[in-house]
Amino acid sequence: MKTYLLASLTVFLACCYVGNAFAADSDAGEMEMLVFPESYTAGSVSGGGTISGVVTFEGDVPEMKKLEITKDQAVCDATEKYDESVVVGEGNALKNTIVYLIDISKGKDFDKAAKLEIDQKGCQFNPHVQIVPVGVRITMLNNDKVNHNVHIFSSVNTPVNKQQTKNRRRMPLKAVKKAEGPVSVKCDIHGWMSAWIAYVPHPYFAVTNEKGEFTLEDVPAGTYKLGYWHEACGTNSGSPASVTVETGSTATQNFTLKLK
Amino acid sequence: MRNRNVVSLLMLVLGMLCVLMLAHAQNAPEASEKGKEVYENSCAHCHGVEGRGDGSAAENLLPKPRDFTRGLYKIRSTESGQLPTDQDLFDIITEGMPGSSMPPWDTALSADDRWEVVAYIKTFYDGFKESETPPRAISLEDKIPYAEESVEIGKGLYVDLGCVECHGNVGRGDGTSAPTLTDEWGFQTWPANLAQGWNYRGGADTEDIFKRFIGGIAGSPMPAFEGDSFLHFGLTAEESKRLSELENKDEMTEAEEEESGKFYEKMDAAVDIALNRAEGMELSAAEQQTYDNAMKVVYEKSWHLANYVKSLTPEKRPESAIGNNVLRSQYVQGALPPMDDAAWETLQSGYFPVVGQVVIEPRQFNPTIDSVNVKSFYNDTEVAFLFTWDDRTQTIGDETDETTGKTLEDALAIQFPVKVPQGPTAPKPYFLWGGRLPVYLWHWKASAPEQVTELTAKGINNAEAQEAQGELQTQSIYKDGQYKLWVKRALKTDDKKDLQLEPGVFVPIAFSAWDGANGDVDTKRVMSSWYAFVLEPVPSSKRFIYPPLIAILSVGFLFGLRAFVQRRNSEEV
Ligand code: HEC
Ligand code: HEC
Repeated sequence: MKTYLLASLTVFLACCYVGNAFAADSDAGEMEMLVFPESYTAGSVSGGGTISGVVTFEGDVPEMKKLEITKDQAVCDATEKYDESVVVGEGNALKNTIVYLIDISKGKDFDKAAKLEIDQKGCQFNPHVQIVPVGVRITMLNNDKVNHNVHIFSSVNTPVNKQQTKNRRRMPLKAVKKAEGPVSVKCDIHGWMSAWIAYVPHPYFAVTNEKGEFTLEDVPAGTYKLGYWHEACGTNSGSPASVTVETGSTATQNFTLKLK
Repeated sequence: MRNRNVVSLLMLVLGMLCVLMLAHAQNAPEASEKGKEVYENSCAHCHGVEGRGDGSAAENLLPKPRDFTRGLYKIRSTESGQLPTDQDLFDIITEGMPGSSMPPWDTALSADDRWEVVAYIKTFYDGFKESETPPRAISLEDKIPYAEESVEIGKGLYVDLGCVECHGNVGRGDGTSAPTLTDEWGFQTWPANLAQGWNYRGGADTEDIFKRFIGGIAGSPMPAFEGDSFLHFGLTAEESKRLSELENKDEMTEAEEEESGKFYEKMDAAVDIALNRAEGMELSAAEQQTYDNAMKVVYEKSWHLANYVKSLTPEKRPESAIGNNVLRSQYVQGALPPMDDAAWETLQSGYFPVVGQVVIEPRQFNPTIDSVNVKSFYNDTEVAFLFTWDDRTQTIGDETDETTGKTLEDALAIQFPVKVPQGPTAPKPYFLWGGRLPVYLWHWKASAPEQVTELTAKGINNAEAQEAQGELQTQSIYKDGQYKLWVKRALKTDDKKDLQLEPGVFVPIAFSAWDGANGDVDTKRVMSSWYAFVLEPVPSSKRFIYPPLIAILSVGFLFGLRAFVQRRNSEEV
């Protein structure tokens, strides 16, 4: 057997060499990431303000592709499913955009009561983009009565790939130690399932709803860089918006995003 | 002998590569000079000078040479999410990874050099430096010995845990999720065929299998089946049984609700402890006890599952059908058995390994078919063959290749010379579908499964359907990741372009197979070199003369290599 191996290796090498020059393998493309502060101190915030706004999509709205459901049709194909990488609503509202403060080092603490879950429902993740505080466990739900595997493609933290069988309704995942992301979440068993998790070190992150709206509350007064991330439109990390927050008032910042 | 030749050739090629590569030395912190040197001489052309898996030879390979900068290792003795031990790395470098292009280095590098290179590849990933505690090993204690009852329990778990989704009903890698799997780097990947343990990357001992599914295969879509992936983690076997009973009831009484509620609390507590442990928290003695109890149940199940997976594969890769194993068609009186007849069970298969065709463009560097298995009966007038080969996907010609637009489908071709060479030293036609000496072929395609076409060919791109067809009778079936093809023909035909068969004469035979889902089409396929079969005479007299000669001649399995050298005088093989 070793002989086969060595032989095929030799043939491979010879052929690779004869046939192909030094064509380097291209990277899958660096994913654009969120920017996190060096450090963050949580405490109580008094005299904070609010930042809110609407994210809209500019350009020809791509048609949401109907997903091809290749297995477990009874559960997964009960309702039509669409690729959620660009979800545009009325008035070109862009859903699933993360809007966040880039350069905050001191502010409020996480809302400890917030439920951190991703549901696997009809073989689709819900929500499509989830913010998860560093050090907090997220729970995966499975009410589908089919087997899923939760595959989180972290690179800063350890990747997760864990089976959640059909009879496992709730599966909490271990907390991560480092801010990262957003990272892709997949189910290899149902290859079309796709979501994103951002592991974040402070609570000033919001995900736009179907109206494209976001709100960041209890922001200490001051001037901040406001960033966004969208899976298909990228980030503004290179030139973030500048927003000044005054005590008790709401600063408005809208964004218009285009496909990358 | 064969081995040594190949090794020296390998070294030569490697040597050449190294000269070409002449490393623009990268700074490697803390790496011993020796380790760096070994790496750059022996590994960098695949794994890349900077360990990114992008060496010059990487382009055509699948799976890709590992990118060491991510710290993802498939073959570990450690829990999921943990790095491998140095010993794990040393072992995999020593043994290589069957079913991939990662070669074994047991003979080409000294043990010292292998340890040096282990230290060196660790420098590509900072995680090795940062981790304060040694990686946690998977415990191999309390192994449950192989036994039928254990295999039976394991079989149930194989389904319940969802191995079946990817690996299929009987493990041939044909699960319903198999066609859509990609690895960490976005390249297509296939679930292992569990009936072919010799192609496992990390060995097919029960312990190997056990470690693989508990720890997971990092970088691949295969999940880790650890602790709470198992049903009712934290409950004893009896409690689990009781809870299943309760859960299966249409309606629970109040008392039953309360009872099940207690079970859920117990499970939640156990999961909580397991997560604390995974997050690096110290466990109290009581917590440790709860955890150990829960894991005892899980590990017991895991051994049953490992025993089941072990039961799916033969102990060793079958010997190729040469020498003493040459395919012998057995004589029967009366009608030949049809495809589904039990008589076939009485025969031993001839095992014909196939490899990717890499001589002529388009080539197949990443074959998915391992071998063709053949049985045969003959009577006074006819011969019947049963060809069996594993293919994870049934592709029947309704898909097209994205780049070439060609129709993709599964197929098999059985190749014979038109004329049997007179004596074992007489020249055979060129194994790549003939040349000056023509070959006679049976070509079966999945799009027309009840038909086999007879071809005559004078080269791999020079085949023609014979005018006279209809001499072959055919049956075929695809089930659970395996094709069966039954072909029957008269021993003698009137067609001059056909092979004529006679008992006692050794007839060269070779195979081509196409896996449509793997992009196989035209010359992109898997092939064998020439083997031989014989209609076993009754009584047998020539048995002891020919096989050794055939064995010597059939060293031609290394056909790609040889063809490379001998392309010119290709008629002589
Ligand atoms: C012909 C190309 C080739 C050469 C030469 C080669 N490798 Fe590999 N190696 C591979 C491939 C391909 C893989 C990935 C196989 C897979 O993922 O199934 C791999 C994987 C590995 C792994 C990962 C093992 C695991 O558990 O995941 C290690 C470690 C490794 N190689 C070390 C080496 C070292 C050290 C050398 C040199 C002494 C070397 N390789 C030379 C192709 C090569
Ligand atoms: C989501 C799909 C998937 C599931 C579910 C899955 N596997 Fe796998 N399995 C794979 C893939 C893909 C490979 C090939 C990994 C590689 O070498 O890159 C594999 C490889 C293997 C191997 C070969 C290991 C080696 O050394 O090469 C074994 C054994 C195995 N799986 C057992 C199991 C068992 C047992 C289960 C259930 C407990 C299971 N698998 C569930 C996808 C899966």
